[in-house]
Amino acid sequence: MLPESFSFSQASLQDFVACPRRFQLRYLLRLRWPAAEVEPIEEHERRMMMGRTFHQMVQQQHLGVPESRIERGASDPDLLRWWQNYCVYRPVTSFSGDAASASARSEVTLSATIARYRLVAMYDLIVVEPGKRAVILDWKTSDTRTSEAILRERMQTRIYPYLLVQVGAALNCGQLIRPEMVEMIYWFPAFPDAPARLPYDADHFSRDGAFLEQLIERIADMEEDDFCLTSDLRQCEYCIYRSFCDRGIAAGNLDDVTAAYELQEGDVEVDIDFEQIAEIEF
Amino acid sequence: MNGITLSPQQLAVAQASLSCRLFLEGVAGTGKTTAGVARMHYLLKSEIPADRLLVLTPQRTLAQPYYDALRSPDTPGGGVVTVTTIGGLARRMIDLFWPLVAEEVGFQRPADRPVFLTLETAQYYMARIVTPLIEEEGYFDATTIDRNRLYSQILDNLNKAAVVGFPPGEIGERLKGAWMGDLVQARIYDQAQACALRFRRYCLAHNLLDFSLQIAVFAEHLWEEPLCRDHLTETYTHLIFDNVEEDTPVAHDIVYSWLGTVESGLVIFDHGAGYRSFLGADPVSGHMLQDLCDEQRIFVESFVMSGSVTALGAAFDRVLRPSVPDGETAPPIGDAAPLAPAPTADSVTGNNGIRATLHFGNRRFHHQMLDWVVAEIQALVRDKDAFPGDIVVLAPFLTDSLRFSLAHRLHRVGIPVRSHRPSRALRDEPATQTLLTLAALAHPEWEILPSRYDVTDALRHAIHELDLVRAQLLAQIVYRPHRGQPELTPFDEIQPDMQQRITFVFGGRYEALRTWLAAYRTRQAAPLDHFLSRLFGEVLSQPGFGFHRDVDCGLVAAMLVESVQKFRWISADLADNRRPLGREYLEMVRQGVIAAQYLAPWQEEEQDAVLLAPAYTFLLSNRPVAYQFWLDVGGLGWWERLYQPLTHPFVLSRRWPTGKVWTDADEHALRQRGLQRLVLGLVRRCRVRVYLGLSDYSEQGFEQEGPLLGAVQQILRRFQSERGGV
Ligand code: SF4
Repeated sequence: MLPESFSFSQASLQDFVACPRRFQLRYLLRLRWPAAEVEPIEEHERRMMMGRTFHQMVQQQHLGVPESRIERGASDPDLLRWWQNYCVYRPVTSFSGDAASASARSEVTLSATIARYRLVAMYDLIVVEPGKRAVILDWKTSDTRTSEAILRERMQTRIYPYLLVQVGAALNCGQLIRPEMVEMIYWFPAFPDAPARLPYDADHFSRDGAFLEQLIERIADMEEDDFCLTSDLRQCEYCIYRSFCDRGIAAGNLDDVTAAYELQEGDVEVDIDFEQIAEIEF
Repeated sequence: MNGITLSPQQLAVAQASLSCRLFLEGVAGTGKTTAGVARMHYLLKSEIPADRLLVLTPQRTLAQPYYDALRSPDTPGGGVVTVTTIGGLARRMIDLFWPLVAEEVGFQRPADRPVFLTLETAQYYMARIVTPLIEEEGYFDATTIDRNRLYSQILDNLNKAAVVGFPPGEIGERLKGAWMGDLVQARIYDQAQACALRFRRYCLAHNLLDFSLQIAVFAEHLWEEPLCRDHLTETYTHLIFDNVEEDTPVAHDIVYSWLGTVESGLVIFDHGAGYRSFLGADPVSGHMLQDLCDEQRIFVESFVMSGSVTALGAAFDRVLRPSVPDGETAPPIGDAAPLAPAPTADSVTGNNGIRATLHFGNRRFHHQMLDWVVAEIQALVRDKDAFPGDIVVLAPFLTDSLRFSLAHRLHRVGIPVRSHRPSRALRDEPATQTLLTLAALAHPEWEILPSRYDVTDALRHAIHELDLVRAQLLAQIVYRPHRGQPELTPFDEIQPDMQQRITFVFGGRYEALRTWLAAYRTRQAAPLDHFLSRLFGEVLSQPGFGFHRDVDCGLVAAMLVESVQKFRWISADLADNRRPLGREYLEMVRQGVIAAQYLAPWQEEEQDAVLLAPAYTFLLSNRPVAYQFWLDVGGLGWWERLYQPLTHPFVLSRRWPTGKVWTDADEHALRQRGLQRLVLGLVRRCRVRVYLGLSDYSEQGFEQEGPLLGAVQQILRRFQSERGGV
């Protein structure tokens, strides 16, 4: 039942693992359901905005915008602290070594076809020292330091290194990236001296490949009624569809969330479309 | 490429050298975009990293074939191709390089983030600026158009200045320079100018960027800023720019200087188009991009039109092509880029082809014409196995009533139908009205007193299965405005016999809603979008309430929440907010400034359905069909342009010399050329047959004898005389 043009991402596969029904509602039926995901909404929104702004500040710095000018945009004290941590700890240089041949690319998107479907990943930053190392840096802007054990299990940790090895050759002067070259590093601006470093190897690569292939095939073969509701009711506390599924009323509390919150930024474009202009109504 | 067989010409374009800049032109339907998509695939298969490739189109809908191709599993893995518009690129670059240029542009709070305005929120600010001028200083008292159209025309003037590339302070002079009538109109232009400049100053003071400022900042500042320009030119070294004729001079200027730096480029130009000229599209400057290209290719052979449809196109071209006055070398307006030499009718299949291709239905009254259209569509689907999705019904303007009449008739005979936009604006949706009425009840400090009718309606939609009679009864009893404030009284205070009439099931649900609202009123007011989210999630979408598992209500509520959120983000930190934002939002909805537009996508549409659309919207979807029905062929709508007293799309174009007077002859030539372009554009997107719907009287009861009808009659007269009057 999956349309041929369907694309998977770490977020959609993570949703599937958390609750198949959520995957179906969100990505297949594209059900818009504006209930609160978590309470208090205000604080959640503040953190989301801060995370988004932090990502952008790092990208600006990477593109050469002077740091003093970037810093002026950090209006929230927490954001300013994150930014200052970033400037002090300099994770890009500290993790990429000082090899002159290393090159860093921010906001890279890679995609590959797995089990007949596209799998897409958006990386915060990839540093490649050709033929030697390929470091994936991901900024985790949560206010808790997620453990390595939890991070290891996340779809992102399985997909990002896998895709980099599979289709990242262009970043390595056209040569295949070997799994052993890859390291995935989560850097927490709120915990700058406690990054989570997750090395990669051929074993991980083959296991992740088989796992992703099987998972996508399984989803592709599912019928409409196969997308069952999760048995883990805690998932429902942090799910916008809880009233749709009759799984509760109020959203769970942000302070009780244990795993790091993922950012899901939309791609917003401003276009002038005929349909959007009341004035031009034919 | 998904099983499509390419012609040798298309293959030659797709597989051109990896260091070649190619200018490809031809009329619609000759397979240019297919060649463009094939070129993209070829570049990817040639191991050009996908993230080096930029595909530009003037609007997203025109990029659909590229998006579709990129989603295909055949697309090689690796990076991702960027498909965007100049507007999209401008916004991304402003977001990234804001700290570099904010001060230089003149923004007064350069340390704060930029705030991007949507069309809706730009209208809101324009309303704030213009309303006092209208009410206190008598601005625009000589015009009678709706206020929201005033606002959008002033915004449109600013957009024109930005996309054509002249200072916004010249808008009034340019408009007045082309005007030779009374002083009243000249004063209107002065006032439009004053409003535009006030708006611009306001935007600069508050970091607000409407579309015009986004384009101006990108074109005049960021594109000149080495850090930004190098980032773009070093990132994207292969460029495909499709439908350049629909893009603006400033977009062309940018690509003109960009093309010199790329490794490969493909520029695709559609002859005879330029349908977005009233949005600033300039085919002439688009065509100039060929100067930067190493090679030119022209596609002539149509993959869409049958021989007889080609003959019809040629016949229309012959009777509609404007004659060039003596001493002039090009038409005086807009799209002076060359049209491909049109084949003559006889050179293709002769006049017999036209006969087979044009089908008429001439009726006395408008509704009879609609019946004829529906009967013909039914016959096509039933007898000729036509797919409904291969049929389109077009009118120059598609009014709500026309759309409703047609959709209703088609539904009645079981034919699926879809439209270019929903039949209602967001604010007219019952779910929106329910949410906003309940918001007013929850916020007495806003001093908005919903009518009893509104409360009845809100209760009816909020409580599952509550019928109108009980809702009226309930509202009559429990809704007690008190000292100018809305109040809902408890169900258990109602007389027992009334409770029984309303029933305890509904009473219980009402009570749950009331207590939720009452509890909210005891707390500090939340932002309106948060309030709506909670009301939706905790009450209205719960079992027993009207939105429970209702996907349409979910969609409408989500759009409303999003609209309120954007409104809050753009206005939250403005020092001059005197009223609570929630109240301001409701006020703007009431005035039709906000939530009045039709924002796509609305609902998942059935694809295999007859499309009802305005003719230009169909043209810009760039999707050929087998059968086209043209409605009201005798109407003037096919020839006239929109009444726009505050602006003039052609005078403000780059083609119009400043100070040259716009005469009646120019207006006539413009309309004639517009009609020619429109008709040829439609025919070129038709594979089999055009049906002409005619009625002696229009929808409004007027007799119809417009120029399109005249052209059709000319073609038929020629046809008859060439056949010896048969
Ligand atoms: S509410 Fe629970 S069961 Fe329903 S989609 Fe969300 S997580 Fe799954």
